[in-house]
Amino acid sequence: MSSSVSDRTSTDGLPTVRPADLAQARDTMRDAARAGHRVLVRGAGTAQSWGAPVEPVDVVVDTTGLDRLVAYNPADMTVAVGAGMAMADLQDRLEGQRVALDAARIPAGATVGGLLATGDGGPLRASYGTLRDLVIGVTVVLADGTVARSGGHVIKNVAGYDLTKLFAGSLGSFGLVVEVVLRVHPRPEASRTLAVPCPVTEAVRAAGVVLSSPLEPVAVDWHDDRLLVRFEGTTAGAVARADKARELLGSGEVLGGDTEEAAWSGLAALVRGEEGQTVLRAGTRPDQLPEFAGLLGTLAERHGVSAALTAGVGVGVTTVALTGGSPAGHGAVLDGWRARVLAAGGSVTVHRAAEGTFEVAPAWGPAPATAPLLRSIKQRLDADHRLAPGRFAPWF
Amino acid sequence: MTAIADLRDTLTAVLGPAGVISDPVELRTYECDGLAGYRVVPSLVLLPTTTAEVAAVVRACHRAKVPFVARGAGTGLSGGALPVAEGVVISLQRMRALVEVDPANHRAVVQPGVTNLAISRAVSAYDLYYAPDPSSQQVCTIGGNVAENSGGAHCLKYGFTTNHVLALETVLPDGSVVWLGGPSPEVAGPDLRGLMVGSEGTLGIVTGVVVRLLRKPEAVHTLLADFPSIEQAGNTVTDIIGAGIVPAAMEIMDQLAIEASEAAVGAGYTLDTPAALVIELDGPADECGDLFEAVQELCHRNGTTKIRVAADDAERGRIWTGRKAAFAAVGRISPQYFVQDGVVPRTRLAEALGTIAAMGAEAGLRVANVFHAGDGNLHPLVLYDDARGEHERAEKLSKAIAELCVDLGGSLSGEHGIGTDKACSMPVMFGEDDLATMDRVRRAFDPDGLCNPGKMLPTPRLCGEKPGPYRPHPLEADGVIERL
Repeated sequence: MSSSVSDRTSTDGLPTVRPADLAQARDTMRDAARAGHRVLVRGAGTAQSWGAPVEPVDVVVDTTGLDRLVAYNPADMTVAVGAGMAMADLQDRLEGQRVALDAARIPAGATVGGLLATGDGGPLRASYGTLRDLVIGVTVVLADGTVARSGGHVIKNVAGYDLTKLFAGSLGSFGLVVEVVLRVHPRPEASRTLAVPCPVTEAVRAAGVVLSSPLEPVAVDWHDDRLLVRFEGTTAGAVARADKARELLGSGEVLGGDTEEAAWSGLAALVRGEEGQTVLRAGTRPDQLPEFAGLLGTLAERHGVSAALTAGVGVGVTTVALTGGSPAGHGAVLDGWRARVLAAGGSVTVHRAAEGTFEVAPAWGPAPATAPLLRSIKQRLDADHRLAPGRFAPWF
Repeated sequence: MTAIADLRDTLTAVLGPAGVISDPVELRTYECDGLAGYRVVPSLVLLPTTTAEVAAVVRACHRAKVPFVARGAGTGLSGGALPVAEGVVISLQRMRALVEVDPANHRAVVQPGVTNLAISRAVSAYDLYYAPDPSSQQVCTIGGNVAENSGGAHCLKYGFTTNHVLALETVLPDGSVVWLGGPSPEVAGPDLRGLMVGSEGTLGIVTGVVVRLLRKPEAVHTLLADFPSIEQAGNTVTDIIGAGIVPAAMEIMDQLAIEASEAAVGAGYTLDTPAALVIELDGPADECGDLFEAVQELCHRNGTTKIRVAADDAERGRIWTGRKAAFAAVGRISPQYFVQDGVVPRTRLAEALGTIAAMGAEAGLRVANVFHAGDGNLHPLVLYDDARGEHERAEKLSKAIAELCVDLGGSLSGEHGIGTDKACSMPVMFGEDDLATMDRVRRAFDPDGLCNPGKMLPTPRLCGEKPGPYRPHPLEADGVIERL
């Protein structure tokens, strides 16, 4: 294997450019184009290990200088911000409102642009989606230095293509996101979480009881042998609904304050993973969770690896963390589990891989039917394949 | 014309004679959509019933280099389904199957010709519904909704089509078939499903849709409040948002719109009130009730002259009928009218309405206003009489109103789409590089330019050879955005 830039988050020693505004961002990309340089875009570096390892690049574009709060209009429920601003910093600056996104990487400093480029989300995705659902406008710089804008500053807008979506999940391979406009929501007065002890085999059934009730939980996740059901709203309302949910399910404990915070932080820690683990995320039909959890257990045992998972039960998003064992074991579990998820029509993205895993199993599974289309888009936006080269190999 | 004749024969073999319309009189039925001012008679209309048939039609068009335009119910208001001369229309009206209802996973799989409302009706027994609700929901199709990224009155809280679609079976412009998206909102790689939604039929033809369903809310509270001025109604909306309340819907109608609606459906709106505000809250019963009290208090604080609370579903239905009928009802007070669909930042609503009133007065035309006050999406109805030679003036005013919305930092379109109607205004909102980038994406899907050509992006043929001189975007002038 060639040494690569991104299987760790280390880009040390590479020429790094840190543009401070749109003009500098454009010039950086234009200069790279003239020199034929390969470019890696990097925010806080919390997701540089997602997807396939990037081939060696000539220059790293560090977005963290693009951290201006451009315009916050609470009465319009919008905020425009530089893509390099840390989401946690942005949240701190929004009086009474929030970006309804709780991806696990946010406490680790993930930037707004990075969260868009990864299409990442947390438990709140069940009711608010991910950034793809919350971004109403973007400004990007393409590989050739073209500055392009899509969307705008109003929450309702269908003029032109929604190019934002193309950048959601693109892992830096279509362009440099410089600025985003987000829709914000009022911060709820209170939050309560019902924690119900429950094996993963029971999670879908138990979640179904709450989800088919009119109690409107904002998040329903299974983690660490508990079903966590979060309610937000007025204090009286959140408390009352958590209590009603407990009655419906016949057991559980209503958490608030620190204990509630701890429950969700634990889930986020599993999703973030740590050095030496392999972490992957799958999208499946929600009711297939027990089946895939069972399969994971079987495969992990067979290959001598410990596996843990957490799942957004109502939306069918499962994050798996593999620990211990050998790289061959990690690779075999990844390969076997992914094959079954893909066969069921789902998808899998690797978020980090233990050293050596990719020598056993490829970072991406077989190319999807959309691969020719993705290649065609890549060709139009980055014909020389200079941005994040190899990130989606061998798809495009 | 032999290309068309060949195509007709080839496709008759695929679709059967009932699936191909070539009779000139019948073709006239398809010459326009809801934007009746533009008319083009297509060379052929094709009525496939399966994805495989759609793919066969597109492959044949691709081979023969014949442009094609997909069409649902034809209720679109921007000329998105306007046929292309020497081209074909692919009607999805025969693809009306509800393929699967999956209540356990809160989703349904439908063909594109299924109407928006039919989905909610089909899943109602499970206490589920499909949230986006355009005013034309009884007739408009989900395929059209996907093409336009339709919203509706409740999108302030619930979002748009793009937030409620999980997967799209799509026939690409070369006739290949792919699923975009998947069984979960989590997908690997770029969100092509999200790009397809709202692409106005220019990137492919959607032949299957997996929609997300929501649990019906426990409680719904609806009121109709009269105000002495549009401004006071608008301030009420501002205060509600300022209080951290996100209603399911907030709609304002002005006196002219109320007059038209009452003449048509008699929903019991107050005839002489300058403004009426419809507010709907939904959610868990206890909280929803408390917030509804708070909302009424804010109405009083802003000088409401009358609040009518819907006592039951029937009365709620009447209030909404009055609001949703406003468009068509304008036909009762004017022989013709244009509808606009611009968006302004909510905080500039009063300014926008004042300017629109002045522009109307100057043009000597009446403008009725119905708008989604929560998100700043305006629907000014420019009333005119062709018999009095007002057409051109009205069209000009209508276009000026859309462009005014951009000047105020908003958008040309909130839900109707750009289509044919506003393509030539796109340079007002987007710079040359923005449009060129959109065009690059379009060519990635459709290098031959056969898929609904002439829509959304301005072309020299459509808009004149010379693009207008560049004008700085108003936000640019204010230093809010930079363009280089």
